[in-house]
Amino acid sequence: MLDVFFFGGIGLYFLGMVLRFFGQVWKKDGLTKASWMIFMAGFAAHTVYLVMRGIQAGRVPMANQFEFAVMFSWGISVILVFLHYRLGLEWITTVAMIMAWAIYLYAALLPREIHELMPALRSVWFVSHIGSAAFAYASFMLAGASGIRYILIHKKDKEDERLPEIDYFIYRLIAIGLLLLTVTIVIGAIWAEEAWSSFWTWDPKEVWALITWILYAICLHLRLSRKMTGVKMAWFAVIAVPVVLFTFIGVNTIIPGLHSYGVVLSRLM
Amino acid sequence: MKKINTFLRSMTFGVILLGLIILFSVAGSVIPQNNEVMYYVRSYPSYYQVILTLGLNRIFTSWYFVVTVILLCINLTLCSIVRFRRINEEDLVETALQGKETVELDPESLDKVRLELVRMRCHTRQTGDRTVYYKNGFGRYGTFITHLGILFTVVFFALGMSLPKITDQTCMPKESLVLEDGTEIYVDTFSITDSTGRLDYKSVVNIILPNEKESGLTEVSVNHPASAGQYKVYQQTYGTIGRITVRDKKNHQDTFNIESQDFLSSDGKTGILIDNLYPGFTETEEGMQLITSTSGRYENPVYVFVVINETGQEAMLAFPGDSIDVGDYTYYFEDPVEYPGLRIKKSPAYINLFLLIAVLVLVFGLAVTFLWIPVVVLVTPAGYRICSQKAEGLELRLKSVLKKEKE
Repeated sequence: MLDVFFFGGIGLYFLGMVLRFFGQVWKKDGLTKASWMIFMAGFAAHTVYLVMRGIQAGRVPMANQFEFAVMFSWGISVILVFLHYRLGLEWITTVAMIMAWAIYLYAALLPREIHELMPALRSVWFVSHIGSAAFAYASFMLAGASGIRYILIHKKDKEDERLPEIDYFIYRLIAIGLLLLTVTIVIGAIWAEEAWSSFWTWDPKEVWALITWILYAICLHLRLSRKMTGVKMAWFAVIAVPVVLFTFIGVNTIIPGLHSYGVVLSRLM
Repeated sequence: MKKINTFLRSMTFGVILLGLIILFSVAGSVIPQNNEVMYYVRSYPSYYQVILTLGLNRIFTSWYFVVTVILLCINLTLCSIVRFRRINEEDLVETALQGKETVELDPESLDKVRLELVRMRCHTRQTGDRTVYYKNGFGRYGTFITHLGILFTVVFFALGMSLPKITDQTCMPKESLVLEDGTEIYVDTFSITDSTGRLDYKSVVNIILPNEKESGLTEVSVNHPASAGQYKVYQQTYGTIGRITVRDKKNHQDTFNIESQDFLSSDGKTGILIDNLYPGFTETEEGMQLITSTSGRYENPVYVFVVINETGQEAMLAFPGDSIDVGDYTYYFEDPVEYPGLRIKKSPAYINLFLLIAVLVLVFGLAVTFLWIPVVVLVTPAGYRICSQKAEGLELRLKSVLKKEKE
């Protein structure tokens, strides 16, 4: 039953994405609207999957690479839905759908068995540390998605009136992502002090979280002093996405460290 | 001197330093840190000399990393001072009142702008027909607080990393560890599963300080250290040890913990030579084959030992509960005992408190910078002007209000 919702979510995201693409190419509003409805159905399946898995596991499902990927993808969808309904932002949808689907698909390549939470992860900080990380990464991914959109529009027309809005949202998404990443690192440090006796161990995951934090902090600093706006900011948002993905996937799978329990042997390896 | 000062507090210098920290961090995450020299010789036969010469094996404590961080602290301090001065010198509302509108609008559109600013719950200050709408004045301090937060975090982080003294020790249940300053840590019990059979490494300890104050029997488990005075005790690892009780004919007995190869004998000639305690075994068609368990749990333990007496030597196996007579003694093989590996940390408590305050200042600063954006808008009968800096959101919002009106 769980798998029905899991693969149903992936399938609906994919279908929504394809319809959206053709809706945009053929300029058919009906297709574009239908694609959103299908995406929302996928989002509902995704949400039900997470809730059911959580009930079955008896905990919030964020204990390993698979569960984090599902949560990460869900975070992208949640922010996308918020931007769509609350702020009426349409331009971000296509690329954001692709990102949500791609991360969800990555999760499908990982083992899905439910394991008991290991003692090291049984902490009051578990949900807030990992949850804030998922939403921080999701914000950065959406900033990257907006960056791609900005660059594409900018190539066609440098004076397009949508550009200032997209530029502003790249900045806001990065700012929210940085704030959440700071919360992630701070909570992680407090947790590490309780678990390992030291709030910082220079573990590869910590180091890459710090690298990501510094990169985005530099970006925002330059932005606030007006030295990086427009297309430069958009390029930064896009180029920084691989760093975020490396912090999420690369560090856990390539470099062994204290956070390696996040990985249950991947079928990719 | 002025040029040096300007450079030291400049953003360019700050960005260069942060870039260097990123570079060092990448190197530090790719090259495993703090290993023995031979590890690098074996793992990087072509580059180990470069790694060791440049100190890339201990990059986060290398002089160049420390110097970079110190320079970053100087940059942050100077930058914070300048920012604070600049913020205090400004009175944006007063300046705005003296200014001139930049967006000219008809009275109807201007009313829409006023309405939107009221909807945003702005305060107003009026001089004649000129009104300044403002809110979130405190937001101007956002970047200053953030800089201060980063500075404090780096400083207390450095102290927090260098001041604590950490040691890892093991202790058998019902025994005590005595530390250098006379502090005693008594381990009452240790278990690796809870009452439901779920893995949960838990020690019950009592920390007795030199002034005889004590923590009382306190549970220590993963994520739940016990503390007393400057000490914190963490559940770190655990081990399993064999136990053999030796009894003589007069029923005098003694119990021995088997940590490595041990020869239990009263005369040095007759006795048993313990090879090891194994966590489990499998029986094959050819006979018994011993295995070492990889799960770390001793589900089917077996002792391997050699009986040594006048007649010679004989290798044997024994299971918990078995016994064997050798010479004048009976050797009873007991159930293995699990014991905790504890991490003991001594550090001044105020460091963690200050560090916590520093990171809270940092998070607060970021929240103020990005969520509490100052709004200062001058509205005259001819139009309006956004006077606050970093007000792109407001600009877009007002434009959108006017655009909706046109539509």
